[in-house]
Amino acid sequence: MKSLSSALLATTLLIFAGCAANLQGPDVIGAGSQLEIRQMQTREYDTLDKRMTLRAVISTLQDLGFTIDRADLQIGSVTGTRLSAYTMRITVTVREKGDHQIAVRANARIDEDTVDDPKTYQDFFVALDKAMFLVLQKVD
Amino acid sequence: MRSSRALMRRGHFLLSRSHFLLSRGAAFSLTVGVVTMLINSGCESSSRFPEAALRLPESSLAIRSEQSRMFAASSETEILGASVAVLQDMEFNLDEMSGPLGVLSASKVVDADSTAEKTGLLMIDVLCTLGGSGNCAALSSASDEQKILLTLVVLPSLSRAGDYTARVTIQRVVFDKESRVKVSEQIDDPAVYQEIFANLAKSIALQEMQ
Repeated sequence: MKSLSSALLATTLLIFAGCAANLQGPDVIGAGSQLEIRQMQTREYDTLDKRMTLRAVISTLQDLGFTIDRADLQIGSVTGTRLSAYTMRITVTVREKGDHQIAVRANARIDEDTVDDPKTYQDFFVALDKAMFLVLQKVD
Repeated sequence: MRSSRALMRRGHFLLSRSHFLLSRGAAFSLTVGVVTMLINSGCESSSRFPEAALRLPESSLAIRSEQSRMFAASSETEILGASVAVLQDMEFNLDEMSGPLGVLSASKVVDADSTAEKTGLLMIDVLCTLGGSGNCAALSSASDEQKILLTLVVLPSLSRAGDYTARVTIQRVVFDKESRVKVSEQIDDPAVYQEIFANLAKSIALQEMQ
């Protein structure tokens, strides 16, 4: 019994030592498949108007309660923050793709965690779809 | 008589042994349970993303309407200049500005100290001390300062030349006396937005007069 308890204690300590070692890494590269992440975070729109697309992105972020930290037309990026029970940061980039499309990519973080839930990005693009429709139809 | 005593002793021994076996079993189960729980809580990521974190709220149209106002101005530069002046009037510092996208991001740190709140917390500390507790620090959780983040986006109307839509979103973080985050929230008081837009209307008028 005593040896069993000692073994369990040692195992527990080793497991926790392992967890602690994992947490110490800088995690610069992130986890997950590069292709899968890109697919989940990207949507294409049939327009070549980068400025209008960024305008729709900014409007969508404001609809979702974000304040804008940075916005750059030349680079085609917008970063926003939303403060609530948790802090959410999102960066949306807009770039021309091919001859007639704009690719919009969003990546978000909640507190210390990256958002890797496809449903969350789908929700974002549903909101952006609406804003894009209004902008492209020239509705204020 | 001797045999009956022997039987009693044997019965007692068996009872004790079964009790001991039960205790050992229970202890083992308990240990395994605790270890399992510790493993689960130690390595499993506790973060689950809030559902609907990026879903449009049903009230988004009403919120957008509350946060937006249409203005007539002679040029985009003029209304952006008037907007910057309004932010300065409200004692904000500009953190980021993107002219081509009409985005102005500003912030300010202001006092969040409330005498009423401090009085209440002081009373709690007094009661706590009278109760004999040595760890009475409710007053340290009193609000100290707040950081206000504001985004003002000015965009030319897509349907009417010479009209511009200004939209404002505001958030704040309140810190307590120990610099801990006490509140993080969006400002959704319509009166705040109405006052900003009233100031912007005045600012545009002043800009045109100059």
